[in-house]
Formats: sequence, C-alpha cells, structure tokens
Amino acid sequence: MSGYELLARSLDSCGREGLTGELRVSGSPGGTFHFRGGLVVAVESPGAPGAEALLLRSGRVTGEQWAALVRESGGTRWPVAGLIAHGYAGAAQLRVVCVMALQDAAFAILAGRVDGCEPGAARFEPPAPVPVGEPPARLLEDAARKLAALAALPHPVHPDRERPLPVRYFADGEHGELGELRRELLAHADGRRSARDLAFRTGRGVYTVTVEVGRMLAEGLLECAPPPAPVPVRMPPEGIRHRTPPPPAPPPPEPPEPADLPRRRPGGFFRLRNGTPR
Amino acid sequence: MDHEALTHEMRGLREQVTGITDTAVAAADGLLIAADTADSIDPEGLAALAAAGLGLARRTAQATARGALRQTVTYGSHGCAAFYAVGDTALMVVLGDEGLDVDRLHRATQPALDRIGSILMNKTAEGV
Repeated sequence: MSGYELLARSLDSCGREGLTGELRVSGSPGGTFHFRGGLVVAVESPGAPGAEALLLRSGRVTGEQWAALVRESGGTRWPVAGLIAHGYAGAAQLRVVCVMALQDAAFAILAGRVDGCEPGAARFEPPAPVPVGEPPARLLEDAARKLAALAALPHPVHPDRERPLPVRYFADGEHGELGELRRELLAHADGRRSARDLAFRTGRGVYTVTVEVGRMLAEGLLECAPPPAPVPVRMPPEGIRHRTPPPPAPPPPEPPEPADLPRRRPGGFFRLRNGTPR
Repeated sequence: MDHEALTHEMRGLREQVTGITDTAVAAADGLLIAADTADSIDPEGLAALAAAGLGLARRTAQATARGALRQTVTYGSHGCAAFYAVGDTALMVVLGDEGLDVDRLHRATQPALDRIGSILMNKTAEGV
C-alpha cells in the first residue's frame, strides 16, 4: 500500500469513527493530525511552519512578547486571547493563520514519506486549533491537488529536495521589481536550505515557498546548488585528549609478607649449640 | 581518522531528521574539528560555547545528583541548539529550527554519537 493510500485510509477511518484524539503519522517529515469529533482541528509537522512560527517569523510578535503571552495565559500553547487583547493580530487574521498552518502541514506530510499511521488518545492540547474542523477527506484532496500542481510546474520541485541558490548577486536597485517573497528567498537561499527550510526561515507556508522556488528556478533567478563540498576536518595539533585524564596506574602490589614468621625463642641458639640448658 | 566517514555522519543526521540546520563536532575542550554550518554561524565560537555549556551542565547534574549527563538543549523562539558529549573526548552540536522534533533528534543522535566517537578514535565502526 502506498503512503498516500495508507494515509487516506487512516484519515477516513478516524473521520468515520468520529475520533477525538490524534492520528500520528510516522515517516519523513511525518506529523500529527488532531481530531475533534471526526474533524481535523489542527495538524503539526516538522515539514511545515506552525501558526506560532508563522507569527514569530513574520515579525508580528517578538519572542519576548510571545513568552509573556504564554505566561499570562497560564502556559497554553496558543495564547489566542492575549494575541487579540494586545492588538498583535485580529481574530479573523488568527483564524486564517491557523487554517493555513493546518493545510500546509497536511500538504507537507503527504509530500513526504508516510511509513505508518497510528490513531490514539490526545497527549497534548492541539496547537493553534481551528474553531470549525475540516473533514479529513477534503483536507487530503486539497493536499493532493497541491502536490499535483507542483509536479506540473515547468521546473518541478519538492519541499525537501532542491537546495537552491541565486544565480548571481542582485543589487538593491533590482529588488524593487521582484516582490517581497522573491526578495526574501533570494536573501536566504544559500545552497544549504531546501524550500521547507526557506519556509521556516521566512515565516511563510511551505507550499507557497515551494511553488515560488519552482518558478524562480524556471525563470533563471535561482539554480540548484552543486553537491556540497566535503566538510573540512581539522584535528587539534596535540590530538584528541580525554576530558578527564585517565586515572594514574595503580601502585605495584607489595610483595606479600608471610603471615607467620618463625619466632626466635630466647635461648634457642644455646640449645642448638650446647644442648639443653642446665 | 576517516574524514569522509565523519562528513557522512554529520550530513546523514541532517538528512535523517527534518529541521536540523547545522552540525559541528569539536574536541571536548572546545577546539573545532568539523563544521557543517551556514555562513551566518561562527563555528569556532559555537564549539567553545558548547564545551562550556556541557561542562556547566555536567557539574549541575553532579551537584544536584541527577546522574550522568545526557545532553543540553537551549530552546529559543526560532529553534534550538543541542549539545551532546561524544564519549570522553569530543562533543557534537546540532542546531535546528522551530520544526525540529527534539525527541526524534535525541533518538537519531545516540547511534550517530557512538559512530562519531569511533571515527574520532580511529577505530573502524561497523556500517561506516
């Protein structure tokens, strides 16, 4: 059974059973679908930035402000009330961010390798849940449609495969014609980062970034990096030393002393030489 | 020492665990041995910080009777930095972004640490 079939069957089963809990998907990048009453309310995956990363990387909220919001809210993973109360984002904006993050993570899981699916009880509260869950079948259809759209690009790309870099240096004057996303991608594409890495770095959806990377590769703005050079290895001149010096060798054992030495008896010598004393 | 095998381990870990952005290996005293890091990272400084960080964590574990040190992880709003001891002679640094699953990282790192330790000590590790 292909990874797609396995995922489709598991999602369908969770939906029909009205699961409230999690469907954990192993693989690369893998991830977790969070269900409430058979509908998907959140998806998290190492392959796509979550709502928190999208907000923090976009600069809308600083790391310090986020930490303060989490403290205020008693340690919740998604301090939505605080975000609205402090004016960092509106309720509608946050709903859009949550839906985007959910759909993007589902796309990332499907675009990768699916090894197995395991439904279970919820271990943690879902991160950034959407108020109205999505039917799992529609979510999977949306992800499959995006995957097909990527494959149909003139320069097909995969979120984890290509590691692009700019074909040349772009001067500041040229940046005006490019648009914000392209400027950011040119600034951060260094031949080490995949589209997935660039999505985290720029705080954008991984699908959005992957499509844009594909277009920029086709237009000759980016090129695929050559295979990476070997990592230079340098040994310390005196070699690698132990953090703690080895313990000193134990002292050589002293020769064992006989337990019972013959005791000299007074007068014994005379007895030997002169016979029994009188 | 087999330089290629060390590169293979460092790059292999990055490919195996989604979210790893940079790796480095250094001697236990903080002298850099190898770095697979972005240009924005100063690998020499990172190696020295990792040696100091592991030393502090080891003493903390001793002073608080927490047993043998496993690793230290620094969490930031844009990702994390994990420092691992490689046996008694070296250390490894792994940097990751917000997507890195740290539990998965620890599971993937343990066998790699053994192999890296063997490579550094010129021993032939199985499967490398």
